[in-house]
Amino acid sequence: MSMRMRRQLSEWLTAYVFLSPYLFTFGVFTVFAVCRAFYLSFTKYDLFSPPQWVGLKNYILLFRKEEFIKHALPNTLKYVAGVVPTQTIISLIVAFALDQEIKFRRFFRTFFYVPSVTSSVVISLIFMWLFSKVGAVNYILGMLGLPSDINWLTSTTWALPTIMMVNIWSTIGTMMLIFLAALQDIPTEYYEAAMIDGASRFQIFLHVTIPLLRPAIFFVVTMGLIGCFQVFDQIYVMTAGGPLDSTLTIAYLVYKAAFRSTTPRVGYASAVAFVLAVMIFISTMIQRRIIEAEE
Amino acid sequence: MRSKLLAVVALLALVAMAVACAPPTPEKVVETVVVTKEVPVEVTKIVEVTKEVVKEVEKPRVEVRLSGWTASPEEENLLRASLYEFSLQHPDIVVKYEPITEAYWDKMLTMVSAGTEPDIYYMDIFQFPFYASKGVMLPLDDLMAKTGTKREDFIDTLIDAFTWEGKTYGIPKDFNTLALFYNKKMFADAGLAEPTDDWTWDDLKAAAKALSKPEENIYGFGVPPDPGRFPIFVFQNGGHIMTEDFSDTLLDSPEVIEAAEFYTSFRKEGIGAIPADVGVGWQGEAFGKGDFAMVLEGGWLIPYLTKQFPDTEFGAVMPPAGPKGEGNLIFTVAYVISKNCKNPEAAWEVINYLTGIENQTTVLRTGFALPSRKALLDDPYFDEHPVSATIFRGAEIGTPFMWGLHGSDVNEQMAKALERVYLEGVSCEEAFKEAAKNLREIFKE
Repeated sequence: MSMRMRRQLSEWLTAYVFLSPYLFTFGVFTVFAVCRAFYLSFTKYDLFSPPQWVGLKNYILLFRKEEFIKHALPNTLKYVAGVVPTQTIISLIVAFALDQEIKFRRFFRTFFYVPSVTSSVVISLIFMWLFSKVGAVNYILGMLGLPSDINWLTSTTWALPTIMMVNIWSTIGTMMLIFLAALQDIPTEYYEAAMIDGASRFQIFLHVTIPLLRPAIFFVVTMGLIGCFQVFDQIYVMTAGGPLDSTLTIAYLVYKAAFRSTTPRVGYASAVAFVLAVMIFISTMIQRRIIEAEE
Repeated sequence: MRSKLLAVVALLALVAMAVACAPPTPEKVVETVVVTKEVPVEVTKIVEVTKEVVKEVEKPRVEVRLSGWTASPEEENLLRASLYEFSLQHPDIVVKYEPITEAYWDKMLTMVSAGTEPDIYYMDIFQFPFYASKGVMLPLDDLMAKTGTKREDFIDTLIDAFTWEGKTYGIPKDFNTLALFYNKKMFADAGLAEPTDDWTWDDLKAAAKALSKPEENIYGFGVPPDPGRFPIFVFQNGGHIMTEDFSDTLLDSPEVIEAAEFYTSFRKEGIGAIPADVGVGWQGEAFGKGDFAMVLEGGWLIPYLTKQFPDTEFGAVMPPAGPKGEGNLIFTVAYVISKNCKNPEAAWEVINYLTGIENQTTVLRTGFALPSRKALLDDPYFDEHPVSATIFRGAEIGTPFMWGLHGSDVNEQMAKALERVYLEGVSCEEAFKEAAKNLREIFKE
């Protein structure tokens, strides 16, 4: 073998040796698991007997059953439509504000980021207490003269918005951090040029900052979409899908069908999981097209 | 040269990891001693006699894995103490206690599916039909015969619940039923006579009316949309939730609808409430706080109240009888042996000890759980603890909390039906007819 080939070979060998732990984990826990879940979605499987092949029955069933079409799917879509824009816009505004030279800037940045590093279970428990009928939220509403006896988490109209509020509050920090980093990258000359041209603060924000933040916005919205489509933690801790399925999301439906049924329906759960994966994939593709079309 | 060295180091690291992850091999030591003796014989022949002496071979120690959930650190310590006592009596059986602290059923499902489940584990009556129908547990009748343990030693409703196709699959370790807990002070302040075991639905309604003060957020009776409470009203009205073979539901039968109308009437008339109405998570907390004067709860309420609300004086009676008599729910857990257990006799010894009269008496005296043996019906503990005695007697008239292979769906539809009545003002008939319809669709899948 020539010197060059030997060097290349040894480089490849080194690379694969270093990659092998991750490749092994990835292969077993992701690739194999996804393939097996795909296979299981065409079977009826209760974990204790071998899977029985049923073809497309699970997919047909899930589109016919009320729990998916009438509850899980609309709830998840409502959740995504509510949380993603809100968390993006609020975190963008907060990041812009904290990029200015104001007093206690460091403190505010930490302060806004703390919810993101707190366990979502702990946050859910605290918010359950805050939003109870005799909790702090109702107390404040009462002081402001607004109706103050709403049972937030046991009301079919308010349970999902409450969970949305919890999630927006806890994810603003992470998004804010991403936007802050992107804002640092905008050269000050652009701002100076705009100000010389007589642009107002708001016009600068709209026509200089936002276009230059496009990659960051794309990232934040994509991560937001992927995360929101899979919302599970808060549902598991706060409402278990209730009341009357008003907070049932697709990810929680997967868990419920597989683990919370006396006779596990793993095949059905796998089918639901795959439909969710396809939905996330499609929405990410659409979002990418929109961003690319604008450029 | 450098990259080669790095590659070798990385490979070694991988190998080291693989070796470290290998399971340890157990050691077994058996001793035999051989003695040879030469015996001189007055004949031309010299005969060598070998005498083999086998010295005290230690019975091979057998390992048995036991698992279950942990209700509290105190209960776990109690079980460990029992297992220690057991190890003194059976030095050849080593019990490895591996409690599962959370998501017990999720873990059990995956372990049994993979064949790695423990030898002995807890089985709740609610999950029992699924596990039994799949044949993942060992029938215990032969093992019971070997130690002379009889089914008749245990309370009938409990041991029958863990029987499948004529075979015993679990030995009930303890149980709980519902009792009507009442706040003594609230009754005294209202000048009402305390409830008795002879109470009926009418007495309950009247007392709830007299004790309610909705302006102060105080209600006479807790009526959560809970499938672990509502069914006793169905039983008291002479009805059932499912048919006897669990193939169909009876949620749309008139007995159920009448029971539902009675149950939901409390909140409708402002003399009962659900826990969320007073801002708490469950009615036990509302009872402790004095927001609910009466609640239907089980024995778990006793340690909760003594710990969290020691100033609340309470008493308990059997749930009030309905138009067709008394009714109650039995929540029970049994020890079962896995079908893959390699040492069933040893596993049975453990269960036999833990459910034996000696251990059950110890457990009873701690007040953590009610025993499943008939012999303990007259234990002096019950004279000093009348509330526990009431809950214990509930087993005589109770129905096991189990709805067959689709129990979770039945629970869900029952809860949703009650929620629909409470939150959307739907009539009981409509709500329960819909619940029955949904269940029949699920059964057909």
